[in-house]
Amino acid sequence: MKPFCGTDSLKPDVISLRQALFLATGAGITICGILLMVAILRVDGFSVLEWVLLGLFVPLFGQIAFGFTIALWGFLILLAGGDRYQVMRTLPEPPAAGPVGATAIVLPVFNEDPDRTFRGLESMFRSVEATGAGGAFDFFVLSDSNDPDRWVEEETEWLRLCVKCQGFGRIFYRKRRVSLHGKSGNVADFCRRWGKRYQYLLVLDADSVMSGETILRLARVMDANPRAGIVQTSPQIVRGKSVLQRFVQFATRLVGPLFAAGSNFWHLGGGNYWGHNAIIRLKPFIEQCVLPEIPGHTAAARHILSHDTVEAALMHQAGYQVWFAYQEEGSYEEGPPNLTESLKRDRRWCQGNLQHFWFLFAPGTPFTNRIHIFFGLMAYLTAPLLVFFIGLSSWDSHVKQRFAVYVAEPWVPVSGVWTSGVLLALTLTLLFLPKLLGFLHLLPRTKEFGGVTRALLSTVLETLLSVLLAPVLLFFYTKFVVLTLLGLRVTWKTQNRDESSIPFGEALRTFGAPTLCGLAAGAAALVWSPTLLPWLSPVLAGLVLAIPTAMITSSEAVGGWLRKLGLLLIPEEASVPPVLRDLDCPAGEDAMAVSGVMQVAISPEVNALHSSLLRRSRARARHKADHLAGLRKRLIEEGPQGLARRELSALLWDAEAVELLHRDIWLSAEQDLHPWWRHALRHYNENTIRLDRRDFQGL
Amino acid sequence: MEELAWNAACLRLEDYLRAHAVEPRERLLALTLSILAEAKSAHDKLPGLTPLECTMRIASKKTDTWFSLLAGDPARAARARIAYFAGGRNDLFLEWPLPEDFVASIRSAGIEAGPALEFQSLIRRELDYGAMQDIARETWDRFSWGHVLSAFALWLAIFFAAWGIYLKFFQ
Repeated sequence: MKPFCGTDSLKPDVISLRQALFLATGAGITICGILLMVAILRVDGFSVLEWVLLGLFVPLFGQIAFGFTIALWGFLILLAGGDRYQVMRTLPEPPAAGPVGATAIVLPVFNEDPDRTFRGLESMFRSVEATGAGGAFDFFVLSDSNDPDRWVEEETEWLRLCVKCQGFGRIFYRKRRVSLHGKSGNVADFCRRWGKRYQYLLVLDADSVMSGETILRLARVMDANPRAGIVQTSPQIVRGKSVLQRFVQFATRLVGPLFAAGSNFWHLGGGNYWGHNAIIRLKPFIEQCVLPEIPGHTAAARHILSHDTVEAALMHQAGYQVWFAYQEEGSYEEGPPNLTESLKRDRRWCQGNLQHFWFLFAPGTPFTNRIHIFFGLMAYLTAPLLVFFIGLSSWDSHVKQRFAVYVAEPWVPVSGVWTSGVLLALTLTLLFLPKLLGFLHLLPRTKEFGGVTRALLSTVLETLLSVLLAPVLLFFYTKFVVLTLLGLRVTWKTQNRDESSIPFGEALRTFGAPTLCGLAAGAAALVWSPTLLPWLSPVLAGLVLAIPTAMITSSEAVGGWLRKLGLLLIPEEASVPPVLRDLDCPAGEDAMAVSGVMQVAISPEVNALHSSLLRRSRARARHKADHLAGLRKRLIEEGPQGLARRELSALLWDAEAVELLHRDIWLSAEQDLHPWWRHALRHYNENTIRLDRRDFQGL
Repeated sequence: MEELAWNAACLRLEDYLRAHAVEPRERLLALTLSILAEAKSAHDKLPGLTPLECTMRIASKKTDTWFSLLAGDPARAARARIAYFAGGRNDLFLEWPLPEDFVASIRSAGIEAGPALEFQSLIRRELDYGAMQDIARETWDRFSWGHVLSAFALWLAIFFAAWGIYLKFFQ
């Protein structure tokens, strides 16, 4: 294979040819499907209802046809030994030595578990240091956490890490006072303060981990390709414990490489940005990618929720390329532990993707980005369209069946049966062939997946789970789309818990509605159109079984059992990469999460750390000082539970108040302290490591 | 009663010193006894304070003064406190004078949460959203529930009128 001599050497003809091939394949399959559908519908003449059905069929079938096309081209590319036009292939072999551009590695956090976040950071820091080029990389934890406990715990973990790794001056921590515009605002704030100091920005998520070698290679590829604006890696989902996590991590290994290679095949330097595990050229990012406002009546409505796709479009529009380094290893993230958390994330993505509609028709949006935006929109919009399609087609068949009884004719003409069978076979092929191709692709490496038999069983299990989960996702995506279009907020009656498992009560509350829908639809089909029931059964079964599915997929015990059986295994479990080795809390230290508020009030070290990280106000209004004194008094007398989160935050934002709180706690007589504080003071020293929030329950 | 109050003061003082990582028992006891003795003599002069308040005020003041001296600047006392904990020389707590290298290491400890700021503006550009924005503006900017309700009322009236005509003349 000829070397790829830099992204500038990429000829427009190659891009045009590949896009033509991709679009022709997708369009060709879609047209085949449409012709078959027309043949089925025209047998007894087109009714208005059938015209509507055809109108719905086109985008729905198009969606699966283009999905299949990406996987197909990806498989062909991988079969041919890989793509010549990969951005990482512009690096020389063996890799060049020498300095690389100054890079800031940023980790935006929002109430995530500080222990896990900083373990990941430590692992990356050590890995980067081991490359010998560590001097070019600075690490930033950019906190937007609004939980006071989490905030103090993050600071403590930052100090611990700096002391442990001698990372002062290399590992930084910044807490924003006003968390404006979420993650994109957090990163923008970094750019505003320190963007000038760095050439590149490596954006991570709180659960992201990247090896030092990968980080260094990304910086080198940016040095080597001045027109590369963003290089997105393909993070591998790892460390799956629950069934859902193991399912997702195996699925990304099964079909992920095909879709990744297929995506790069058609978009080349016009790729997408996923918001994390990607390196960005800072200067054009700051100059060209400041998020515009979208049309809307309120400030909140004008703010772009899902920033990454828009930033990729703006970068591409500014003349820079956005590449997908999909074969680069050493980039990892973790998946949501259960279906509820996964759906919460989908809700955010749905709202964000629907906002991208505005960019679909905006003049100047590059063609490839329009396609990314369209695919992103259709990922959610197809759900209500499919529900509508299923409903209408069921009604249509019911009407025909009833009519057939009166005229004593078969309700489906014989010629239509064969065509329907062909269309069904085509649809199933488009849906399931990528899984078979994915299995063929991993066949030479089945050892890493537990052997041929286990890899095959895992593929079957993954397919069954995806069939079972699809109707539940269909139900919730439809709900998200409808509520978002109506301008309503989707709320959850669930709590954020550390454990992944979903108890029955919560499962019933969250997944009761799809179960009822499934039962109702099943009963309706049984009464009005019994012959339709077998055809609807895959969808209805998924809905009816939503509660047990949610509970079983959230179980770490079942996940562990599957792992013991060698099912849904991934290569990183057979041989754990060094950068992922120390991410778990060592046994016996599980209860390290001491309340941050307690630490800041009692520990002289944490108190000094917290107050020294705050900006001191030169002059303070008397009413503010009185207000803070009142909060301090209440905190001591009523314990942390006596104050609202915003009151605790207000107290913790004032350096003087924090120092006075520490002094007051230690100087207060026993009877003036809330039992929570008495317990904390008495046991602080002997149990600093083992104190747990649970010890304070009921105090 | 008095003995109980001094016991409470002693316990709190021990906890306070141990919170400053004074681990060796001998050092802990020596410091506790020295501060308690000071507190007892001060308590005689300030009987309005409880033994615990008196003891902890003295301990707190001693600690603050020591960290200010260690930092060389009271404004940097908090940073000196962090550096003391990170340094691991807990045996020197509340000692004075101190070894010069220890003082120098505390004063030079760089505990920076971020590099020097180099502010720059992020300028948002207006983006042209094309025809869709015009269509949306024309639709939504002119939208009012009044129009919708009046249109609904009109069509409802037409429907009932037509229905009435049908019932009267064709039924």
